[in-house]
Amino acid sequence: MMSEPRRLHPAAVIFSVIKIFKNLIYVIGAGVLASFGNTMFIYIALGILGLTIIFTIISIIDWFRFHYYIEGDELRIEQGIFVRKHRYISKNRIQSIDLTQGVIHRILKLTKVQIETAGSGLETEASLSAVTFSEGEAIRRELKSDQSLVKEEQSESEETVEYPQRQITFNRLIVAGLTSGSVGVIIGLMAVGFSEIERFIPDSVYDQAMSWMLSSAVELLIFLALVTFILLYALGILGTVIKFGRFQITRYETELFITRGLLEKKQMTIPLKRIQAIGFKQSLIRQPLGFGTLYVETAGGADGQNANARTYLFPIIRYDELRQFLQTVLPEYEAFPEQVQAIPKKANFFYYVRAAFFPVVALIAILIFLPFVWYVPTILVLLAVGLGLLRRQTAGYSWDDQQLTLAYRDFSKDMVMMKHNRIQAFEKRQSILHKRLGLATIRVSLLNHFAGRHVLLKEMAESEVDRLSDWYSLRKQ
Amino acid sequence: MRQPPQHRIAVDAIKAWRITEVIVMVILLLLVIASFIVGHFFDWALWIPFTALAVWGVLAYLMIFLIPVVRWRRWRYEVFDQEIYVQHGILIVSRTLVPMIRVQHVDTKQGPILKRFNLSNLTVSTAATIHEIPALPQEEAAALRDQISELARVDEDDV
Repeated sequence: MMSEPRRLHPAAVIFSVIKIFKNLIYVIGAGVLASFGNTMFIYIALGILGLTIIFTIISIIDWFRFHYYIEGDELRIEQGIFVRKHRYISKNRIQSIDLTQGVIHRILKLTKVQIETAGSGLETEASLSAVTFSEGEAIRRELKSDQSLVKEEQSESEETVEYPQRQITFNRLIVAGLTSGSVGVIIGLMAVGFSEIERFIPDSVYDQAMSWMLSSAVELLIFLALVTFILLYALGILGTVIKFGRFQITRYETELFITRGLLEKKQMTIPLKRIQAIGFKQSLIRQPLGFGTLYVETAGGADGQNANARTYLFPIIRYDELRQFLQTVLPEYEAFPEQVQAIPKKANFFYYVRAAFFPVVALIAILIFLPFVWYVPTILVLLAVGLGLLRRQTAGYSWDDQQLTLAYRDFSKDMVMMKHNRIQAFEKRQSILHKRLGLATIRVSLLNHFAGRHVLLKEMAESEVDRLSDWYSLRKQ
Repeated sequence: MRQPPQHRIAVDAIKAWRITEVIVMVILLLLVIASFIVGHFFDWALWIPFTALAVWGVLAYLMIFLIPVVRWRRWRYEVFDQEIYVQHGILIVSRTLVPMIRVQHVDTKQGPILKRFNLSNLTVSTAATIHEIPALPQEEAAALRDQISELARVDEDDV
């Protein structure tokens, strides 16, 4: 038990400065880009230097004024330069304690400690940006009200309890990288980057390169393009490998424990009672191969980052392995249906119209103003109709007495599995046209770490919607 | 969800909504008038401000005369011991079920216009959604608020 107030590791100053700059990146980035290569640049550079010094000084004072200690059953944090903030967090209110190690953390053998309580706020309740790793683990041991992790550490020597565990294999990691689609993002970034770099390439060099390219053989150009593409793809795979390398999930009595990352190491605990739903998402590339990602929706900021950050239960898994995986790791959800019930054929019309509406408008506009490129929007319209068809084929539902499963697609196919007692509200929507055709759309609301998630299944048969609403309703009919 | 909820909201809701819409439409009318004046000084073709006026006319008719009545006719609610059942919508009718055990808090709200008619809006919040029952007689809204918060006081696992 440590009761004397402590400071963070001095490296916390570095993280604090980095964090400030991260928040200012767009302002600074815009300034740098706009002034690149002209006389303003020197002032901007000086300004950044000045800011760095100021931020560093502030961060040092901040570090000096930050204390934490454990007193009895509470973690206490005192911080603030002028306005002092004291925060006491009681042990049995703590939901999860996550340890994260970035690259700098790992070099210095440090860790970041994030502590979550039951509040559904977006921010973590308490965060210690840098403590030594052994101390981080000590804090976690100390504050765990649920002692299963501690027990496990003790039992390692006795070898009595074995907790179910799954790891990612190297092959799977490569598959995840190959199908991640990150190559598109990288190409986009490269294009933007090149348009900026282009300014610094002297005109003569640029012209020479251009004339060389135009004069050289087509085969050579194709070869170069191919090499670039493969390199970019390799980069994308590398990104995935770094992010999900050594992914491992362990099931304890009341929580899931996830570690991942080659450079940045993350340890995460997910208390089972915070799980709101799980989902299986298959992108257009992964679906034909049978692969997808398994994610979880939890209450409160489990990842502590942005709204789109999903918490993965497993970054890449085949659909036919799903049941077995859930049986070992999350048997609460193992009873998902073999196949979902499709929506009625009458719904086709709505799906086509919704998908193709804007492309058709574009087609008409193009035919009026630029008739000679008619084929571009025509292809778009055909693709949109195809997407509409795919969406309609994907859409489906299934439920038993405990669990509702909805499948739908924007571009990726998403199958969401949710328990009856985790659904916050149920809505049935009907336009006049729907009513006439005996169709209705449902909207099911869930809590997640952001503003809530609403899953829509469009154009179900109305009779089925009514049956489902009876299932959801708590009144006995 | 085969039957719509039973109770309607107060008839005065139509008047209250109309007053709100009149205020909005008057502001828009000022903009249309401004377009006439600006058009006069900048030599715009006359059809531009006149189109704006025509659009305003149609909009004013819809917003002030038609929509409040349809809206009122659609709004219905019913509060059971186990759940709240609400219906609303103009072109798309939506019916919502909110279980009592999911309700986190209930509010009543009253702006100056609703106050004139002694009406209140009631909002029910769950962890992920917010649902409204607008323009209830204020005593009824208060009673309903107390009733729901009483019924929602059921212990269950977090969220």
